[in-house]
Amino acid sequence: MNVTTAKLAVAFGGPSPEHDVSILTGLQAARELTRSQRDVMGLYWTKTGEWYRVDAALEAADFLDGVPRGAQSVQLVTGVEGSGFVAGAGRLGRSRPLPVDAVINCCHGGPGEDGTLQAALDLVGVAYTGPGVAAAALGMDKLAFAGVARAAGLSVLPRVLLHRRGNGPAPAGGDDIGFPGPYIVKPRFGGSSIGVEVVADLDTARGRLDANTHLRAGAVLEPYREDLFDLNVAVRTWPDIELSAIERPLRSTAAAEILGYADKYVGGEGMASAPRQLPADLAAPVVTALHDAARAVVALADVRGVARIDFLCDGNDLFVNEVNTVPGSLARYLFVDPPVPFIDLLDGLIGEALARPAAHYSAAGADGTVLRGAGGIAGKLA
Amino acid sequence: MILRAAVEAACGLSIVAAGPRWLRVAQREHYLVDATTRFALRWWVAVPVNLVGLGIAVAGLLASSRWAAGGFATAAVIAVGPVGLSLRGRTSPLAWTRRLRTLALVWAGLEAVAVAGGIVAGQGPVAASAAALAVPALVDLACALMAPIERRLAGSHVARAAARLRRVAPTVVAITGSFGKTSTKGYVAHLVSGTRSVVASPASFNNRAGLARAVNEHLADGTEVFVAEMGTYGRGEIAELCSWIRPDVAVITAIGPVHLERFRSEDRVLEAKAEILVGAASAILVIDDDRLAALAEARALSGTRVWRVSASDMNADVCVLEDGGCLSVRFRGVEIAHAIPFDARPGNVAAAVAVALELGVPADDVVRRLATLPGAPHRLEQTLSPGGFVLLDDTYNANPAGARAALATLGRLGADAMRRVVVTPGMVELGPLQTQENTDFAAAVAAVATDLVIVGRTNRRALLAGSRRPPSGSDAPRVVVVSTLPKATQWVREHLESGDVVLYENDLPDHYP
Repeated sequence: MNVTTAKLAVAFGGPSPEHDVSILTGLQAARELTRSQRDVMGLYWTKTGEWYRVDAALEAADFLDGVPRGAQSVQLVTGVEGSGFVAGAGRLGRSRPLPVDAVINCCHGGPGEDGTLQAALDLVGVAYTGPGVAAAALGMDKLAFAGVARAAGLSVLPRVLLHRRGNGPAPAGGDDIGFPGPYIVKPRFGGSSIGVEVVADLDTARGRLDANTHLRAGAVLEPYREDLFDLNVAVRTWPDIELSAIERPLRSTAAAEILGYADKYVGGEGMASAPRQLPADLAAPVVTALHDAARAVVALADVRGVARIDFLCDGNDLFVNEVNTVPGSLARYLFVDPPVPFIDLLDGLIGEALARPAAHYSAAGADGTVLRGAGGIAGKLA
Repeated sequence: MILRAAVEAACGLSIVAAGPRWLRVAQREHYLVDATTRFALRWWVAVPVNLVGLGIAVAGLLASSRWAAGGFATAAVIAVGPVGLSLRGRTSPLAWTRRLRTLALVWAGLEAVAVAGGIVAGQGPVAASAAALAVPALVDLACALMAPIERRLAGSHVARAAARLRRVAPTVVAITGSFGKTSTKGYVAHLVSGTRSVVASPASFNNRAGLARAVNEHLADGTEVFVAEMGTYGRGEIAELCSWIRPDVAVITAIGPVHLERFRSEDRVLEAKAEILVGAASAILVIDDDRLAALAEARALSGTRVWRVSASDMNADVCVLEDGGCLSVRFRGVEIAHAIPFDARPGNVAAAVAVALELGVPADDVVRRLATLPGAPHRLEQTLSPGGFVLLDDTYNANPAGARAALATLGRLGADAMRRVVVTPGMVELGPLQTQENTDFAAAVAAVATDLVIVGRTNRRALLAGSRRPPSGSDAPRVVVVSTLPKATQWVREHLESGDVVLYENDLPDHYP
C-alpha cells in the first residue's frame, strides 16, 4: 500500500468549540484529495459524539443544520475482530468495517486534539495523521507545555495556575504570584484563543473563573505585555522536518488587545483569510532564534504530522507561547516559502501515518511468569 | 374505444405532470392535511387566467361523461396549470426527502386506484379527468394517511432525544410566542454564553421533529443551558414538547394574530402558548399584552417564579425602553444600562435579560454583553446598497406588530430622504383578519413611505385598498404592482438613488400566488 492508493478517511467535526472550523479544514482536505483522484471518504463526528460517513464533495453549508443529507451512520467499534469504523452495525450479519488505511485527523480543539480520539484510534488499530496520544495531550495543556519548554531552557513568559482564593497551595509570597498585572487569563486546556481575556489585576482574574465558562476546567495567568506581537510558524515532520515561512498575524481592530477567535476564524475560510504579514518582516537574528526554538519544540513535544508553533516577540526577544498540534486548515497557507502544494502536505501526513504508527503497544514480558509465581489472590491481600 | 383509452392516457400524463407541483406545496406547508387543497383554491381562483383554466377543466370533466374527448381539455389544463406555480421554485425547490418519496408513492397509489376503479366501472374518462382535477385533494388524503405513520417514525428520534436530555441534564429555557421567538432565543444565547455553555436550537427547528434533531445533533455533553424555541400550529403541541423537553424557564414573548387559519382566534393562540408554563419553575412574560399580564398574575398565585418584563412599564421586573434606536435597561426599578445603540423590539431584549439574570449571569456581565447583541439575519437588517441607498431587510418578519416597528425605523432613517420605499407581498396566515391587517398595514405605509411596491397577488387587493386610504395629512404613495420579488428589486435598482431608503417587508415563498 502506498500514499496514492491508500483508502483514506478525513475525520472532522467533533464535540469541540472548534467543531465548525474543523468542518472547514476537513472539507478542504477532502476536496484536495478528491481533486488528486485519491480514494477518500468523509467521516463527520457530530457535536454529540456520533459518527457519519459523508460525501467528500460536500460544502460547508450542507452542515448548517447538523448532519448533512445522505449521511450514513457508522460506529467506532473496538474489542472485536473487525474493529474500526463500522457501517450498519447491529444489523444482522452486515457489519463490516469500512476499508480505511489512514484517518486524516482534522478535528480541532476538544477531544480530536487532546489525545482522546487518538487513543480510540490506537485501540481500534487504525492509522492516523498528526500527534499521538501523549503529544496531543501535552499540546493541549498550556501549563504543562510551558513547563516542559522552560525545563528545556527555551524562553517562555511566566505562566502560573490561577486558583480560586483559598483553593490550592498558597504561593510562597502570599498573594504575590511573582509578576505584576495586567494579566492575560487563558483556559488551561483548549486549542485556540476562545475564552482568553485581558484583566487588570488578580481579583478581576479570579472573578472571571466563575463568569467565563471556558475557564472553569482550569485557567492559567500570564503577564500581559502591550509591546508583544504574535509570530507563527508551521512545521511538518515527513519525509523530513521542514519549517514554513514565519507569519505575523495582524489584529483586525486597534481596540482588540489579543488576537481573538473572531480574528482567526469568523469570516472567510478560516485562518487562510485572516489579515497577516507573510513572510513576516523580521531581523535575521530573530528568524534564526525562532527556527532553533521551533526545532527544539518539535523534539520536546513529539510533533508528528503538521503543527503550528506560536511565539510572542517584542522585536528582539522571543518567547515560545504554544503549539497547535492539529492546526486550522492544517496550516497549509503558511507553506509559501518554499511553496508546498496542499496535496504534497497531505501526502506527507499520509505517508507518515502509514509508515510510522503513533502507538507502540507491547505485551512482551507478560509471559505468565508473574502469574505462575503468584499463589492465591487472598494471600496477596493478607 | 381508442378515444376513451387516449383520454385516460392523457389524464394520466397530466396527473404525472401536476403531481410534483402539489407535492412541493405539501412539503412547504409541513404536510399539514388541508394545506394543499387550500393553496390549490388560492392559485386557481386568485389569478384570472387560472380561473378561466379551472372553468375549462371542470367543463371538460362534466362533458367527459357524454363525450369522452372532453377529458382532453381537463388533462391539458391540469398538466400546465396553474400559471405561476413553478416546479423549481426561487425560494424553495422540491426536495426528494425520504418523507416526500413515501408520500409520493401513497399519492400515486391513490391516483391509480381512482383511475383503475373508473375504468373497471366503465367510466374511465370521467374518473381519469376527476382524478386529474383532484390531484391536490389526493395529496392531502395521502398526507392524512401518512400522518400517524410519520408520527411513529419520528417517535424513535424523540425517544433518543429525551434520553440525551436526561443524560446531559442542561437547564432548559423554552421560548414561544406569536413573534419574537427567534430573536429572543438569539439574545438569550448571547447574554448567557459568556458565563455558561449554551446550545440554542437552530432557527427553523421549532417543532417536534426539529427539536428532537436539535437535541440529537447539537446538544453536546457538558452543555449547561439548552435554549429551545417552540412553535405551535394547534393545541396540545407545546404540551407534548414539554413532556420530554421539560423546561425549567419558560418564556412567552407575545400573542398575536399568527397562524389564525388554524387557530381561528387569538384566545386559542394564548391557550396553546400557555402550555409552555406548566411544569416550569419560572416564567418570563412580556406583560405589555394584557392577556400575558393576567397570565403572569395567575401563574404567580400558583407558585411559579414569575418575571414580568415590559417595553413600557418601568415597574416591571425588567423594563427595556427604546428611544431613537437606543435601548436602556431597568432591573427592578434601577437603570443598569443606558443608551445601548441597537434596533430591536425592546420587549424581546427585556425577556432575554430576565432569562440571563434568572440563570445567574451577573448583572455586570449582562450589561457588558448587551453592547454586542447580535441582530438576527433578515430581521430589520440594515445595509448600504451599491447604489448608495439604504436597504432595510425585514423579509423574515411576518407579523403586523413587527411590520409597524419596521415602518417606524424606515421613517426615522429616511426622515431626510427623497424617497422612502416599501416592498412587500403583505402578510399571510392571519385567517379572518388577513384582509383587514394588510389594508391597515398599507394605510400605515401610506403615512410613512413615498412609494409602495406590491409583490404578487396574495394580498394585492387588500394592500391596494389600504394604500388609497392614507391617514389625513399625508399623501397617497405612488403604488407599483409587480408579480415577483426579482422584478421588485429590479424596479428598486432602477428608481432609487443615493440617500433613499427601501424597506423589504416580509417575503412569501413562491408557492404563494
